[in-house]
Amino acid sequence: MRLLVPTSIVFLLMSMSTGLLALQRGGFQEDPYSAREARTYYENGDLKSEYAWSRLRYSSASNYGGYGFYGGGNWSRDYPKADRQFLIALKRLTRIQARPTEQVVTLDSDDIFNYPWVYAVQVQTWTFTDAEAKRLREYLLKGGFIMVDDFHGTTDWEHFMSGMLMVFPDRPIEDLSDKDELFHVLYDLSERFQVPGEQYVSTGRTYEKDGYVPAWRGIRDDNGRVMVAICYNMHLGDAWEWADDPRYPEKFASLAFRIGINYVMYGMTH
Amino acid sequence: MFEFLFKYPRTVFSRGEFVLLGGWPKWILFILLLAAAGGLAWLIRSKLPQASPHIRNWKAGAIWLLQFAMAALLLILLWQPAIMVAELRPQQNIIAVLVDDSRSMAIAENGATRESQAVKALDSGVLDQLQKKFQVRLYRADGRLTRIAKLDDLKTATPAPATRIGDGLNQLAGEEADLPIGAVVLLSDGADNSGGIDLDTISTFRSRRIPVHTVGFGAEQTPHDIEINDAVVAPRALADSRLAAKISFHQRGFGGQKSMLKVLDGQKILAAKEITFASDGQVQNETLLFNAGPAGSKTLQFTIDPLSVEENRTNNSVARLVNVESAKRRILYVEGEPRWEYKFIRRAEQDDRIVSIASMLRTSENKIYRQGIQDPKELADGFPSTVDELFDYQALIVGSVEVNYFTPAQQDLIQQFVDRRGGGLLLLGGRSSLGDGGWGVSKLADLLPVLLPNKKGTFHRDPATVELTSAGADSIITQLVEDPSKNAERWKKLPYLMDYQEAGTPKPGAVVLAEMNGGNRKLPLLVTQNYGRGRTAVLATSGTWRWQMSQPLEDQTHEQFWQQLLRWLVTDTPGRVVASVPSQMLFDDGRVRFSAEVRDKNYLPAADARVEAHILGPGGAAAQIEMTPDPNTPGTFHADWTADQPGSYLTEVTASRANEEVGRDVLTFARMDGIAENFHTEQNRDLLEKLSAQTGGRYWKPEELLRLPSEISYSEAGITVRDTKDLWNMPVIFLLILLLRSSEWLLRRKWGVV
Repeated sequence: MRLLVPTSIVFLLMSMSTGLLALQRGGFQEDPYSAREARTYYENGDLKSEYAWSRLRYSSASNYGGYGFYGGGNWSRDYPKADRQFLIALKRLTRIQARPTEQVVTLDSDDIFNYPWVYAVQVQTWTFTDAEAKRLREYLLKGGFIMVDDFHGTTDWEHFMSGMLMVFPDRPIEDLSDKDELFHVLYDLSERFQVPGEQYVSTGRTYEKDGYVPAWRGIRDDNGRVMVAICYNMHLGDAWEWADDPRYPEKFASLAFRIGINYVMYGMTH
Repeated sequence: MFEFLFKYPRTVFSRGEFVLLGGWPKWILFILLLAAAGGLAWLIRSKLPQASPHIRNWKAGAIWLLQFAMAALLLILLWQPAIMVAELRPQQNIIAVLVDDSRSMAIAENGATRESQAVKALDSGVLDQLQKKFQVRLYRADGRLTRIAKLDDLKTATPAPATRIGDGLNQLAGEEADLPIGAVVLLSDGADNSGGIDLDTISTFRSRRIPVHTVGFGAEQTPHDIEINDAVVAPRALADSRLAAKISFHQRGFGGQKSMLKVLDGQKILAAKEITFASDGQVQNETLLFNAGPAGSKTLQFTIDPLSVEENRTNNSVARLVNVESAKRRILYVEGEPRWEYKFIRRAEQDDRIVSIASMLRTSENKIYRQGIQDPKELADGFPSTVDELFDYQALIVGSVEVNYFTPAQQDLIQQFVDRRGGGLLLLGGRSSLGDGGWGVSKLADLLPVLLPNKKGTFHRDPATVELTSAGADSIITQLVEDPSKNAERWKKLPYLMDYQEAGTPKPGAVVLAEMNGGNRKLPLLVTQNYGRGRTAVLATSGTWRWQMSQPLEDQTHEQFWQQLLRWLVTDTPGRVVASVPSQMLFDDGRVRFSAEVRDKNYLPAADARVEAHILGPGGAAAQIEMTPDPNTPGTFHADWTADQPGSYLTEVTASRANEEVGRDVLTFARMDGIAENFHTEQNRDLLEKLSAQTGGRYWKPEELLRLPSEISYSEAGITVRDTKDLWNMPVIFLLILLLRSSEWLLRRKWGVV
């Protein structure tokens, strides 16, 4: 009886922290926007569509900022609001018949092959098993397309590369020129600038960490088509997510939408 | 035997007319017959009660019958039965004896050639007998008819390469129209290589009542032989595309055995298939699928491997010519909305060096994204509105586009594109395609190979599995593996389609190559048909891209299918000049007729063009001839020429108007000597029997020939006399009387009635 109160307090604390831990590890089973429910959540009644925004849930390198203190880190950063807002823009500005809700895909099953366009963020934390790397490699070589976003600075780049090299050890990464078709599929984006995350509102900085200069890079297949579109030192996901915030400058949101839409269009035409 | 009993040959009875020569009218005969019948019956009946009991039944009737038959026979004989028949007046008629002198008659059987057998048959007295009664004219029949004086002249003449019985008979009917020909005797093996005898020739002989007696030589069936009847293959193909050839053949003596059917290009085997022979004489059809290879004029040999005992091996292979072209073909692809299928079709086609796609995609409400264009102005104004622009392409693919996206003028243009220009049109499934895009109720509905369903909501984003139909098994579009027997299995294993659309019912002339199972229903997937000068097809899905994404990286199924489908779409699209010959293979006869269809820039017939044919032959022979317009069909030109030497020939036909070249086309053909005679070497008894039956003659075997001189007299042609032949003194009548009487007596004795 004496130990009841302290035992129960300790028990409560432990369960809370375990819950917090589980929450941060990505246990989204109860989240209303979770992947499984997103598929069954009808918005406009038409669930099946030509295009489905697919966010890649990758395995994280466990010893690097896995469950960052900022919460909701790695693959699910900005999820799902960024995705949802982007889809609204896609629907309004193009003739792509897109499903209004986003979905999550993984490299564990062949289901990813049904969605030839995927988006991944915070890719400095990604890593692959051999099977996952092989699947992603085949996915891309067969005609798939991946857009990676929101990683900043030299350390992030190195960690990104360690994952990328598992997929394509031999393919060079090149800077995309302004003349590249990727920037002219729908919108002409010869003039681009750094798109910051939401932190710009409070700090006025467009960069994060030491990623001062934005770089649009890509990996091409043997026919010259860009399969991996790399958006380094920019935070497009946040721009989509905070586009409706009056403090977030419209010019960043515009460019972010345009880049995203161009990338989707490119993925559907090349 | 017949003649012994009946006194006259069978022909007399078959041709003659039965008459009664007696002076008294016939009705008296009938009355007397009835009287005899009645009288005998009354006689027997009156005697019946006195006869023994066991005779009072049918036996009495039998006796009555026999007695009546006897009485009737005697009565008829009183009226002098006779037969009237037309008979050729001796020495006033000509019998034309035609001896087939073609090369097939030089085939030896049982130690003697067919020709020498014919000569021997004639020499053995038949000719002499004929010459006693008639004037006999001897002819040599090969391609032409030549009169010879005596049989020995046959030996000295060179045999003609081909048999053309029809030509020979025609010439006889024509040249000797004034002469009183009583009958024609044709000694031949019937192996006509010019395609048989036409009805005109037969009707000429029938109208003149000249019977043609045919005497057949040569074995009717070679004991062991395999022969290819025909091989049909498209005369034009695109480089590196698939070709399908249909080969028909028959054999004797090898039923149930196996051999290999091959197609060769020079020494290289393009495809081989094991075949099992059916029963003797049955015609079999097989399809071979093979790759056309690089560009150039090819001579393909279709061969069946000979089996050991076979004597004649030359007829195991036939040659066919294919012109493999490498001129670039362009397809215009109009897509209404960004879709995966669009991207993957473009990807599948990017490795094809001959076919390229220029595409226009509606990316947003007011923007069109163009890919594959050759210069910035191409398609800058959207879908072409002029003939020049659209007819530059060889085929059109329409994706998820509602029909009213095209203005009425553009819709007309599309219809003309297929009909007049001869282009290909492929419609894909999609949200705004087919029924859901209003295509079924548009004026372009006529073009489609299907009758679209009259409802909306025909497009379903649900999986559908695919299956090959039996028509698809032989198609070059749907062959995914080298071995055709495994093709159907391969199709069954393909990943499911991402979506499907109800395409309605195929039209009567359309071919369904593949089907799909969608929503528990079997629906047509790929339907094709020819339309006007062009062709149209419907692929009722936009989900074949799963064949690329859901199969291993190395798998080329998706690419292969699309390349084959698109090549089919463009291969037969004609240019402005289309040259042709009736048959690319000339056998022994070098006469050839070139035809050219010339169209102007709008693909309308250009009747005022100047058309020339430049011919290159073997040994460097060259010729240039001008082609003359056909008065009946504007835009068509003809020229006749003769290829003197055997070998391969190449012809380039160029057309120009007002010093500006309209277009050109290349044509290949070959002359082969001495090949045709090795085919159809069996005696064509069918042909000979038909010929004689339809003209009133008879088919004879060489052994029966001695009876010919007597039977040949009975004919209605020439100078005839109607002769009446008595029948009363036929031995058979005497025998009949004897038979009736003796049987009656025997029966009476047996039954105890005297």
